[in-house]
Amino acid sequence: MQNIRRNIACLTIAGALAAGAAFAQSSTAAKPAPGETARAGATHPDLSGTYIYAIDLAPAALKKEVAGKVTISTVDHSAHAKVKEAIPNALPSTPAPSYKPEFVAQVKDLADHESKTDPVFYCARPGVPRIGPPRRVVQLKNEMIFLYEDVSGDPYRVFYTDGRQHREDSNPSYYGDSVAHWEGNVLVIDVLNFVPDGWFGENGYFHTDKMHVTERVWKVGDDLAYQAIVEDPGVLTAPWVMPVRLVKSTALAVEESPACKDEDGAKLLNNDHHGQR
Amino acid sequence: MRSKIFCAFILAMTMLAASALAHHSPSAIFDMTKKVPITGTLTAVNWVNPHIIVLVDVNKNGTTESWKFESNPPAWFRQVGVSRNDLAKGIGQTVTVEAVTAIDGSHYGYMQKITMPDGTVLELVGENEKAGK
Repeated sequence: MQNIRRNIACLTIAGALAAGAAFAQSSTAAKPAPGETARAGATHPDLSGTYIYAIDLAPAALKKEVAGKVTISTVDHSAHAKVKEAIPNALPSTPAPSYKPEFVAQVKDLADHESKTDPVFYCARPGVPRIGPPRRVVQLKNEMIFLYEDVSGDPYRVFYTDGRQHREDSNPSYYGDSVAHWEGNVLVIDVLNFVPDGWFGENGYFHTDKMHVTERVWKVGDDLAYQAIVEDPGVLTAPWVMPVRLVKSTALAVEESPACKDEDGAKLLNNDHHGQR
Repeated sequence: MRSKIFCAFILAMTMLAASALAHHSPSAIFDMTKKVPITGTLTAVNWVNPHIIVLVDVNKNGTTESWKFESNPPAWFRQVGVSRNDLAKGIGQTVTVEAVTAIDGSHYGYMQKITMPDGTVLELVGENEKAGK
């Protein structure tokens, strides 16, 4: 466990160094430059806003024809696009979770049959960190509210940024118990107390109730950057640092998600599947 | 022949694209090689995850054949500006759905295109499709 924490500390330092001068400038500037993060108060950036869906929507367009007039509408895939440019404050990611040798075959088997074994394929909750960045952030003085729109429903998270510790009496859940603090412009959320029957990512990435997630959330201009680090001494040999995601701000209002009712699972004739979230 | 192969390729690509969020690949259920038109009475539009559902009754020589079609997720339709009412306003009237159908032969398909009673056409296409006829 000490090694894991040491690794996280090293990654954090490396990320901070990689951020370089841009990070230093944004931390000390009295007035944001154009495109720089706006500040809600004297000390912290304001993450409040509405952001595009984090779920992986179909990369198809809609062709609409009305009285001979044709229009084409597309969807925003920013939440799942690979971030090409270097983003200040982003940590170097690791390619894949490092499972203990005795679990490698199990992970492969789950991944090979993902369309039948992944609970999320059948409307289960993705949990943290799989649900990704929030659709809406409401930032209060010492408190954060994250709202989500997800296929499985619309979870919310309310947690504090005033230095308080994890609750002693929280029940295990898919979204865990969260407390947060600021590291410069980055909101760092510490999440634990998970139920053990979820996956923290596609490809059979199961976990135990020992999972500990550190989420990092910050603004890049008007957009929201999100990165998570997964530790689980029950199944992993090292922390997994997920690739950073950058979701665009949007005017598309948050709306209650329709109910999830899987209709076709019984019709699957093979194991073909592809990405979800 | 080349155009047929090209059309099949485009259809397959669009279907793959159309299901990025899906909990399976369309090839696990549907015959991807052909898209068929089905005309009948729109009876219901269920705005549910992970796919919207459209129900159509087809009159076959005096007997009713009930078809069920899934399509893209509600969040996808929301982003491209289509609400449930855009489809539900045609309930009780005649529509034509173009879909790939289930390999198991059941009356189940993936809706690629729908022509509404007022002539409005909604179609799933590749993202590089350009406007204009």
